[in-house]
Amino acid sequence: MVECTGQRSLDRVLEIGGYAAGYCGRLFVRAGADVVRLDDGTPDPAWASSHAMDLFLHAGKRRVASADVDLIARLAARADVVICAANSADEIDQLRFDEWGAPVKVAITPYGRTGPKRNWQATPNVILAAGGYTNLVGDADKAPLSLPGHYLEFQTGALAYAGANACRLAGQVNSVDLSMLESLMSLSQFTTVRWHCVGEERSRHGSDFWFVVPSELFRCADGWAYVNVVPAFWDSFTVFVERPDLLLDPRFENNDLRMQNRDALHEIVASALCDVPKAQLVARAEQCRVPVGVVMDFDEVLQDPHLRARGFWESVRNGAGESLVSPGLPYILTDEVRPDLSAQQSVEAGAVQW
Amino acid sequence: MVSGPLRGVRILDLTHVWAGPLAVRFMADLGGEVVKVEAPYGRGPRVFPSEPIGGWMGGAPGTEPWNANALFTKLHRNRRSLCVDLKQREGRALLLDLVRVSDVLIENFSARVMDSMELDFATLQAANERLIAVSMPGYGLSGPYRDRVAFGPTVEPLSGLSHMLGYDEQSPRNSAMALMDPIGATHAAGAVLTALRRRRQSGRGCRVEMSLHEGGVCFSGPWLLERQLGGDPRCEGNRHPMMAPHGMFRCRGDDQWLALACADDAQWTALSDMLGLDATLDLSARQAAAAQIDAAIEQWTMAREKHEAVGLLQAAGISAGPVNTTPDMVTDSQVRARNYFVTYEQFDVPMPGNPIRMQGLDSTQWQRCPRLGEHNAEVLEDWLGLDAGQAKELASQGVLHDRPPG
Repeated sequence: MVECTGQRSLDRVLEIGGYAAGYCGRLFVRAGADVVRLDDGTPDPAWASSHAMDLFLHAGKRRVASADVDLIARLAARADVVICAANSADEIDQLRFDEWGAPVKVAITPYGRTGPKRNWQATPNVILAAGGYTNLVGDADKAPLSLPGHYLEFQTGALAYAGANACRLAGQVNSVDLSMLESLMSLSQFTTVRWHCVGEERSRHGSDFWFVVPSELFRCADGWAYVNVVPAFWDSFTVFVERPDLLLDPRFENNDLRMQNRDALHEIVASALCDVPKAQLVARAEQCRVPVGVVMDFDEVLQDPHLRARGFWESVRNGAGESLVSPGLPYILTDEVRPDLSAQQSVEAGAVQW
Repeated sequence: MVSGPLRGVRILDLTHVWAGPLAVRFMADLGGEVVKVEAPYGRGPRVFPSEPIGGWMGGAPGTEPWNANALFTKLHRNRRSLCVDLKQREGRALLLDLVRVSDVLIENFSARVMDSMELDFATLQAANERLIAVSMPGYGLSGPYRDRVAFGPTVEPLSGLSHMLGYDEQSPRNSAMALMDPIGATHAAGAVLTALRRRRQSGRGCRVEMSLHEGGVCFSGPWLLERQLGGDPRCEGNRHPMMAPHGMFRCRGDDQWLALACADDAQWTALSDMLGLDATLDLSARQAAAAQIDAAIEQWTMAREKHEAVGLLQAAGISAGPVNTTPDMVTDSQVRARNYFVTYEQFDVPMPGNPIRMQGLDSTQWQRCPRLGEHNAEVLEDWLGLDAGQAKELASQGVLHDRPPG
């Protein structure tokens, strides 16, 4: 059992660099840490405006605009944790990362701090491609699709958070070398074991998961719905599509046969769902207990009654002082109230009294 | 047990499928002392109806197919296996005894399962008020979707990601990679660590509730804020709103591609010098001419093998990388130089490593995935002080198992 060592809970976290560090800092803010972000110049290209990125990532932080290496060293000496995301190993070295005095330091780089590609230029689409994700997304007869958004950076930030907190829990002085490429590769499902054990490469098939049939995105009357019928749900799925006769169809008797007769089954399902509105599909899926999810646009997500009922949204303020909602943490600890965060605060370096 | 900052943290792992086991793998790799509490049919029946999705370790099911599932093996290193029937009262009592001496219990059943087994949070907390009890249901433990059946691919469309993924905005796509699961995994691991640190202050445990749905929506956060600020984020295929060029480009060979992006004007200048394009174009001009620029790039890449092309682009300081196939991934020079894939398992199957690299972690200590119920007696002795005879008695009563019944 872990024993209490009387450690202070409110970490001082110094955050430097790209969106992976920003996301890690976001998690620290919501754990009650005092997070100071150093803005060192032009932000990396993002999938949303800098205002939206700031509101999402940096609410609740203090921000200092500086790239002064000496200032970084001074703040790092007083921090409990430093999270630093840079574009290459050399950039980390140039910041004198190894000399910083914080007990826990995390260096996030595209390829890691060692190895022949440690200084390769990389944007997220390059790492998503190298890490095996891109080859699996998209249609077989078209270009592979790179994931839009900041999945890579946010996942790496979440791993940085776990690593830093593990060190803090143990009271360790330690330094973490976090490669975005390795982070991504750790999040692959069965790609590499299938290659080694079956000798088959996983490939892309549009929205079709392929190994379970049907698992595909189907058009419905007013949008799209994904069905994922793992074998245990086949019987109830036939009720869901109002085709109980399929249970007796020898072409679809088990998943192997359904894979062999994929096109025929997809045609039947497409026909069964094409005139049904999303709301009706969802109600039917709930009644039949079948895994179905409808595609939501951002307005629908923002209005989602489930998220509202769960108090998921945090409140942030834009530059005009208007209140907006921002996603809360995806986890809740008992008795925790999801915070009402003010927008980030710009401060002079001297105002950080650590 | 392996060394690491979580050494001494006892974790009861009741998870299954992907999100839960991956969360526990991160904690086990950091030194957590994990006992996998498995149902007798937790790894499937004695005879499998078909090959599992990741294949069989060694290429064949062998005499114990339930212990040969490659995907399960990949996710379950560094833990011991206790196979106990929680449908029996004695099995549940045994679990509560283990709860009394544990730090964390983690499960990813649907929202109603733990309650139905009379293992609700109040019961767990009554057994150990310092316990951190983690639930990872698809839609959380409350709210109107609580009891919906959830798998990663069916939750993803509700996150907003499917709205942005595709070749054009008329035809959304699903990643078909169950991305909500790994998002849930990384955040569950972080949440457990947050809770462990809070327990140091309070002396009390807590419930941690991790919703796969909310993980996905969180990752759409920038777009959701952009929408409220008056923007209208839309699917742009492989293009990017703030980088041009940005995309996938076909190379010589069958279905061979590379990824390329110009993150700034300097990279564009370098690329335009290589390809004979107009170096003076700014971002908006490049976006306006994206079709022509992409065609010029692809004309250049199609004349080259992808690794050769990437080497030339990187030498010029341009962000580029191969679209790696699976064999490319495992033989990548960077991955090999850092020994990312590790061969500690039977048949020397390389397994993905731990991305959280720090001093004090050593993958040479890693332990292979245990066989079902391999450590029944050992765990009961170590954690509860039961002797071998008592474990044998529990086995004879059908409470403990070391193979699927049947």
